[in-house]
Amino acid sequence: MSLEAGEIEQKYRIPVVAAAGSNVVAFGIGANATYNTGMPIRYVGVPFPFSGQPRSVLKGYIEGKDTVSGKPMMQAIIEGLTQPLTEHERMSGILPEAQPEPRLLAADTEDNLQRLFKERCWTDFNPVIIPTQERVAAMLKGTSHKPDEIVKSGAGTFGTRRPFTVEKVAVLAVMAGAKPEYFPVILALASMVPYQDSTTSIAQMIVVNGPIRKEIDMNSGLGALGPNNDANSVIGRSMTLIHKIIQGYDEGVTGFASLSNPLRYDNLCFAENEEALPQGWEPLHVQMGHKPTDSILTIFTGWNFINSTGWVEQHYAPQMLMRDYMSTLSGMSATLIMDPSVAELLNDVQGFKTKDMLGEWLSQNVEKTAASYWGNSIVSSMLGPLGAQGLEPYASWKKVPGETLIKPFTNPKSIRAVVVGGNTASVWFATDFMPEKGTSIDAWR
Amino acid sequence: MDRRKMLALLGVSPTLVAGAPSYARTAPASAPSAGASVVTDRMITAVNPAVTPQLPKRIPLAPRLDKLDGKTIYLVDTDWGGMGQNDGILQEMQAWFAEHMPAVKTIIKVKKGNFVTDDPALWKEIADAKGDGVVLGVAG
Repeated sequence: MSLEAGEIEQKYRIPVVAAAGSNVVAFGIGANATYNTGMPIRYVGVPFPFSGQPRSVLKGYIEGKDTVSGKPMMQAIIEGLTQPLTEHERMSGILPEAQPEPRLLAADTEDNLQRLFKERCWTDFNPVIIPTQERVAAMLKGTSHKPDEIVKSGAGTFGTRRPFTVEKVAVLAVMAGAKPEYFPVILALASMVPYQDSTTSIAQMIVVNGPIRKEIDMNSGLGALGPNNDANSVIGRSMTLIHKIIQGYDEGVTGFASLSNPLRYDNLCFAENEEALPQGWEPLHVQMGHKPTDSILTIFTGWNFINSTGWVEQHYAPQMLMRDYMSTLSGMSATLIMDPSVAELLNDVQGFKTKDMLGEWLSQNVEKTAASYWGNSIVSSMLGPLGAQGLEPYASWKKVPGETLIKPFTNPKSIRAVVVGGNTASVWFATDFMPEKGTSIDAWR
Repeated sequence: MDRRKMLALLGVSPTLVAGAPSYARTAPASAPSAGASVVTDRMITAVNPAVTPQLPKRIPLAPRLDKLDGKTIYLVDTDWGGMGQNDGILQEMQAWFAEHMPAVKTIIKVKKGNFVTDDPALWKEIADAKGDGVVLGVAG
């Protein structure tokens, strides 16, 4: 909202007042104005929640107080459009850079440094390994890249400029407990910031493909999604530290996830069990156009992680239960994470000779009511306006009676399968995780 | 229900749960006890993990209006939340202006795309129509 307000103010010199809930206001007048837009947009604060409220409540908000200034709402709006600019609001040009962070922290004891790291939120609140110069130097041996090489500049939320170096990533890798051989994977992970945030309970998932999996002993088999492997756990934890320290995620300042998500502790980091794929089923990275010999890291973003609970029953084929569970998902994307035994059943018994064939079938068979579809606010936010502007099938789906069954997965390619696990139970997860383009780990060796 | 029967129904071998000595892992005798804190006064120099953010160029806000009477104010629905979540609050705002400040002309517009997309055509339309001010809302 600040970007839009800024565009109107800057390009057309028209005064704007932006109205928002407390989270957007806090970000808009705080970190976003300071580090992103450079414009102190005038905001009024609307009480929360406003979505879905009856008109009587909304009228009360208009007749009530602006939660920013405490003044009557309409008075605050009028003043926002008419009160002369302050010196702060007239400021222009390049300001001095923020006080640069020193390369080294003042020498202190282990206990005091652990305390400092927690106070500065440089942690997931589990103890970290203190990044001494020796440890960081050892980590840097895990890559051929120079310590002072800039990995990325626009690393902050909404791409704000938070340039960081290879050495900075090495510091975080040490803190997470990584071995130097994991470092190329962690650099690839860091090159993908900023990670997506939301007031909703969004989360990320990391999938690693290619030879690096074996080189660093990642777990793609028994217990791969649990806390049972050093590389999986530590690389997953690294993402949390990168998110908080490099991206600058700070609850109440740059991030406002109301519940957040427990998946964010370790970001579902695992390797695909490529060796256990049925014949004809390509590994994820090959599906995305990479060579089998490339080592690739793929970050997924999503909300839902639905457990099959038990194993596949003979009288109900796995794709049938997948179809049932997927009807609760938004329809924008799905990733099925399945044990090799499930993949074998789907391939050998059910005839899905490729992952794409499974996606096609599910796209044709998952159904939900139009009311339920539009009842998901992510769907209604992203696709509702497109339907209102005439784009099919959303335009038709907005017009049909609520109980009408629709097929929400309009794009079969948006349904993916990843195979992982140890063949001890024919279990799977249905998720709505959506991948970004995979990134090369080899480029960071 | 009998515990053994319940475990069997869940597909778990009661024998495995009852005792699997080969899976039991014990800490070596020399390892420090769990939860023990090793306090040391040794001074350590750590490399700073913090990143220095860079400040953007500051841009001044547009000059404000001397008054609203006779002016045209656009109330722009950013479509946050989708499916008309904001139109009610903007309509209440418009009704307030009509009742308390009838000399102010208000026009409600809905942004094209969705809440994460820009609509430069609308901003140009407002400028071309000599819009005097904009209230953007409501995000949350």
